[in-house]
Amino acid sequence: MKLPRLFSTTAVRLAFRYTLVYLVVLGLVLGAFLWTTGKQIDARLETELERELSALSKTQAQYGNTHLIDIINRKLTAKPESGRYYLLVAEDGSRIAGNLLAWPDEADITPGGTVQTEWFDEEIIPGDRHGDDALLPAIVSEFDDGSRLLLAQDVPQSGPLNEVTEILIEIVGAAVVLGLVMSIILSRTILRRMDTISNTAGDIMTGDLSQRIPISDRDDEFDALAGRLNLMLDQIQLLIKGIREVTDNIAHDLRSPLTRLRNQLEVTLLEDRDPQEYRNALTQGIAETESLIRTFNALLSIAQAESGNHRAEWGTVNLDELAHDLADLYRASAEEKGQQLELITDNRSVITGSRDLLAQAIGNLLENAIKFTPDGGSIRLQVIPGRKTVDITLSDTGDGIPEAERAHVLERFVRLESARNTPGNGLGLSLVQAVATLHKAELLLGDSGPGLVVTLRFPQLGKNRGQETAPTG
Amino acid sequence: MHILLIEDDVQAAEYLVKGLGEGGHVVDHAATGDDGLHLALTGNYDVIIADRMLPGREGLSIVRMLRADKNQTPVLVLSALGEVDDRITGLQAGGDDYLVKPYAFSELLARLEALTRRSQPMDLQQQLQVADLVIDLRRQSAARAGQQIRLQPRQFRLLEYLMRHADQVVTRTMILENVWDFRFDPQTNVIDVQISRLRNKIDKDADRPLLHTVRGTGYKLSETP
Repeated sequence: MKLPRLFSTTAVRLAFRYTLVYLVVLGLVLGAFLWTTGKQIDARLETELERELSALSKTQAQYGNTHLIDIINRKLTAKPESGRYYLLVAEDGSRIAGNLLAWPDEADITPGGTVQTEWFDEEIIPGDRHGDDALLPAIVSEFDDGSRLLLAQDVPQSGPLNEVTEILIEIVGAAVVLGLVMSIILSRTILRRMDTISNTAGDIMTGDLSQRIPISDRDDEFDALAGRLNLMLDQIQLLIKGIREVTDNIAHDLRSPLTRLRNQLEVTLLEDRDPQEYRNALTQGIAETESLIRTFNALLSIAQAESGNHRAEWGTVNLDELAHDLADLYRASAEEKGQQLELITDNRSVITGSRDLLAQAIGNLLENAIKFTPDGGSIRLQVIPGRKTVDITLSDTGDGIPEAERAHVLERFVRLESARNTPGNGLGLSLVQAVATLHKAELLLGDSGPGLVVTLRFPQLGKNRGQETAPTG
Repeated sequence: MHILLIEDDVQAAEYLVKGLGEGGHVVDHAATGDDGLHLALTGNYDVIIADRMLPGREGLSIVRMLRADKNQTPVLVLSALGEVDDRITGLQAGGDDYLVKPYAFSELLARLEALTRRSQPMDLQQQLQVADLVIDLRRQSAARAGQQIRLQPRQFRLLEYLMRHADQVVTRTMILENVWDFRFDPQTNVIDVQISRLRNKIDKDADRPLLHTVRGTGYKLSETP
């Protein structure tokens, strides 16, 4: 796995994005923490300064400046590193005592007030102080003799607050590194799993349709996906096998009549013939093409029903009306053979579907029934509404289909031995099956003892009947 | 009839021009969609035959342009696309009839005849008559030479259709489409049986038959065969 590819993966990109969000949030939390803690420290300092100043002021009032100077010096020697600054100046501003070198001129600080943050020039701060000028909290008191005392506190640089900040920054840094490492590990795992799927896809594209994605025993979402994809591949392979069979069948079934047609035309051309002979040959040729076209159209109808995605012409179909119209069309043909065509319908069995395809399917069944029922037999077309389904059944008094053959006759171009001498292309029931599947209907072949009973069991639309009369809008 | 044929298959077009010409029609042929549209918009045709798949411009787009131009010349759409939906799209685009390849030439001819006759208004009639055969559309009754003929409702519709297209050849598919509203290809001779039953009723006792079989094509209701 190359590194650039790793960084272009979704996992790493997401990890980067989340790390960034995480950093911003941490920054905000840290800022808020520092701000509130700083506030608390400031408040404590202020009280300290105020308290000390008032104590020193009391000392000055009781014992005078000499004593005050003494106390300041003692404090400075006791805690030289405390960061506390003292400055006592006389009325004229000259320095009397303290560790500040001069009165901060920039500071606009009024005696007797509260603690204020003021600018202190670097030059008046003793020792080797970090940085330059400083912004320090300070407080001033003026005594009766006109002398003034200033107290200020240097903020320690490496105080407890800074230590907390440092720890926090270290944690954030560790989190960022950990996040990145995790995301790289994660995306490597994902990439490895994806690569197996991708490689299988590549194999299949080169033509080996039998390849399947290996499934691990982890039973995770990748295995679930691989399982689904494998099922899809099974289905595709099945469909392709079906298409191959159809192509073979077409080749087989169209080849013979095409050969006949061609030979006929060739033989006719061999010698000079009289016009009547030519006419006969041509008429025969046209009849031959007609049967070819018929087979062809039947195959197209099956393909159309099986593809199932052309549903513009779908609508509600009243099965009783349809059965009625079809019986109307075929009754004469049945009666020609001395057969009785009986129609039994309910009034309102409605389904959603394609009227043309349904008509063709039921028409095929009727044609079969008429063809295979002996003269004088009877055929019954029935629409039987059930609770959740509606059946169209067609029963006849013919020879029926032996149970072992029933599944077989639904395949394309299959014709039973007993039907060899009747006209037909063996596509009729295949179309019925395709139309049934398209309409989510079951096609059942049974025994009507004697004879065949074919049932098309449709899911009933009846639940929606009320909606037709309901007001709209 | 003056016919415009828009078809890019040169051989097919040649046969059609020849066949239609021998049938006494004048045919202009356009091999591309743009030529076809130009001719259709400028010429004065009785009927237009338009193939759907054409170089440059699709057949249906020609129909749409014509209809947008308020041109009501009947159009028969030819197509190699066979799905039911394609037929519906074709008719929605403004086509008047739709024929799927491969088709029989006689079927094309019969449909062209039906299209050009249909443009004449005839809905207001209450009676149709061919020779001594009369049907009353309001009372749904038929009589031959003054003798009432008993017909089943569907037989009456079949007869009405044949009479509306008197002296024209109607094919079996046209009958199936217009009388039963079915668009499929029966594998048996259902229509022939229906016609022979109707013939039994209207021609049986008459000295001159009116319902003729046109070999290889269909049927014709006419005084002369």
